[in-house]
Amino acid sequence: MKTKKLLFVTKFEELGFDALKSLLGLRLAGLEHVVFVNVIERDRVAMRRGTGYNKKEEIRLRETANIRFIQWAENLFEQGLEVGVYIVVGNLVSEVIKAAQKEESDLIVIGRSQKGVLKQLYAGSDVTELLHRTATPVLVYKYMSEYSFALEKPFERPLLAIDWSPASLKAVDYLKGLAKIVREINVIHVASEKEISGSSAMDVQKTRKAKRRKLDAICDVFESEGIETRAHVYIGDPKHELEKAARECQATIIVMGSSGKTGWVERWLGSTPRHIAEKSVYPTLLIPPEKKK
Amino acid sequence: MGKKVLVVDDDPDVRLFNVTVLEEHGYTPLVATNGEEGKNLARQEKPDLVILDVLMPRESGIRLYRELKTDRTLKHIPVIMLSGIAEKSFLRSQKVLAEFGDKEVPEPEAYLEKPVEAEELAATIQKVLG
Repeated sequence: MKTKKLLFVTKFEELGFDALKSLLGLRLAGLEHVVFVNVIERDRVAMRRGTGYNKKEEIRLRETANIRFIQWAENLFEQGLEVGVYIVVGNLVSEVIKAAQKEESDLIVIGRSQKGVLKQLYAGSDVTELLHRTATPVLVYKYMSEYSFALEKPFERPLLAIDWSPASLKAVDYLKGLAKIVREINVIHVASEKEISGSSAMDVQKTRKAKRRKLDAICDVFESEGIETRAHVYIGDPKHELEKAARECQATIIVMGSSGKTGWVERWLGSTPRHIAEKSVYPTLLIPPEKKK
Repeated sequence: MGKKVLVVDDDPDVRLFNVTVLEEHGYTPLVATNGEEGKNLARQEKPDLVILDVLMPRESGIRLYRELKTDRTLKHIPVIMLSGIAEKSFLRSQKVLAEFGDKEVPEPEAYLEKPVEAEELAATIQKVLG
């Protein structure tokens, strides 16, 4: 799986050119084309009583975005990359999906959801909605968010979370495609307390060993690509354990399959991928299972 | 019928502006909204001139320019680049692509940075078409 074309979705506040530059290491993994997407939310220019459609504001927002993108594009063109731009008025998720389909992009890069808690509860977060509606991998990029330093090589040391779902196994393939820019992968499975509640210490160790063996098989796949890999089994709530493991392994990014839950269930009950994407300090690459493209 | 001029630009306002200038000066405009469409129209219509934007969805003007200038049947067609992207960046990109193993291509017949005045555009077209 090659990452030839990436869609860089930005509102400028959360993801700037420095964030994009930190992703250009993907060129070694085949990146040739960057497409900028800026969606002007409808309510910023919408019809209002007495004033009508705010065309002036639309032009102002479009041109502000355009001027920034031109500067970014000049920089990328000079490095021999292809660049495209979409500046559109509409719903963020729908417009991103449309652009991803038109461009047949291999990766969507987006910042963390900016909606408030209540809005997220009723309307869902942009990231969750995007993941449910696209078959393209999504990188929720938190460039410099809570780090005291900027990430220079986000793909250098991924923490790959495996739960044996089709999406998490697809993530293995995706990371294989990045072999040229990955230095070390820590593969982790988080077992629940229930899974290891055996009657004796021996039973618990047996379960751990079995999980570890399965992870070793995945490590072999990466080792055959020349990537140093380590397997880990953690016990507990994946939402917390993954964050802990990422810290302990000095990971630069968390990679995992996206949830198979429906949007409604996920909105109300939550899911590990959603939690990590929105709460973790680490950039999160979410790989959806095979579905309609 | 005037000479055929192909305008490739994703911005509807720019397309309208170009078409108006061309019609006012007796040319026959052809219009494409992206690089892919532009390439197909160029092959089909063999225009006398191409006015090409750089930053577009699907395929940029940089790629299309290279394709036009390396296509045996199209490379003689003069090209005016009309873009917000600086000429210097455009030329550097062509240099880098050539260094990466792509063919070297000549510089465009003219390069205009957006926005452009109607008189400047008309004069450039006239100059390029002789």
